[in-house]
Amino acid sequence: MDYIILSLILMSIGIYGLLTKRDLLKVFISVELIATAATLNFVMLVPSLGKGLGEAFLILAFSTDTCVSGVILALLVIVHKKYGTSDIGDLVKMENTKEENEVEA
Amino acid sequence: MIVEILAAGLVISACLAIFLDEAVYAVVALAGTFFLTSLLYAFSDALFVAIFQFAVGAGTLAVLFLSGEMLSEPPQKTSQKTLLSMIAIGVLLSLPAIFLSISTPTGLLSGISFGEALWDLRAVDVVLQGFVIMTVALGIAIVLHEKRKGEN
Repeated sequence: MDYIILSLILMSIGIYGLLTKRDLLKVFISVELIATAATLNFVMLVPSLGKGLGEAFLILAFSTDTCVSGVILALLVIVHKKYGTSDIGDLVKMENTKEENEVEA
Repeated sequence: MIVEILAAGLVISACLAIFLDEAVYAVVALAGTFFLTSLLYAFSDALFVAIFQFAVGAGTLAVLFLSGEMLSEPPQKTSQKTLLSMIAIGVLLSLPAIFLSISTPTGLLSGISFGEALWDLRAVDVVLQGFVIMTVALGIAIVLHEKRKGEN
């Protein structure tokens, strides 16, 4: 059982979701999966890094991950409140229509 | 054997979290991913990390459930065939992790204690925090700039 390959697979799934999914909630889930893969790498590399250094990096990784989650969720709620959708395609279309209307006016 | 089953479950739940169309089900699958990761850490003698992962995961999921319920579109039914194919993809993807292995160096910096690592290598922490704060500041500046542009 190799944790590095497991982490690589998790990261690949996350990147696939990030590139293909158009819903912002799915994008957030993809980011969470990538963060989990990174944390898994830190945990499993603890024997080579040393326990202390591994734990220090982990605390940093967890804190950064939580901050990123908070910011993404806040943006998600703001976007949904303002535009009524969380689909990236719809948001781009709305923005384009808005710009076209401004040019016409 | 338990660790291998947990790894397979982890990949399957990650696949379900990405591929399931309904937001609430996707969040439930993500909860499974967090829980299995936490168990994997516990089985690898990293109890501190397991508890941390569990706590962070629980907090994130509580907020995500609310957002998922609030922001999700009308549910679309996922057929059983699609669900089974997702699970099959997850099992297939987890096979390399179970049967292959990459050699990693050991004992690179093993003499450093937790306290030393936290305080002596503070530079890494500070640089990364600097990047985070800089990104947030840039984001706020862009938002304010756009808002001002919209008002004019």
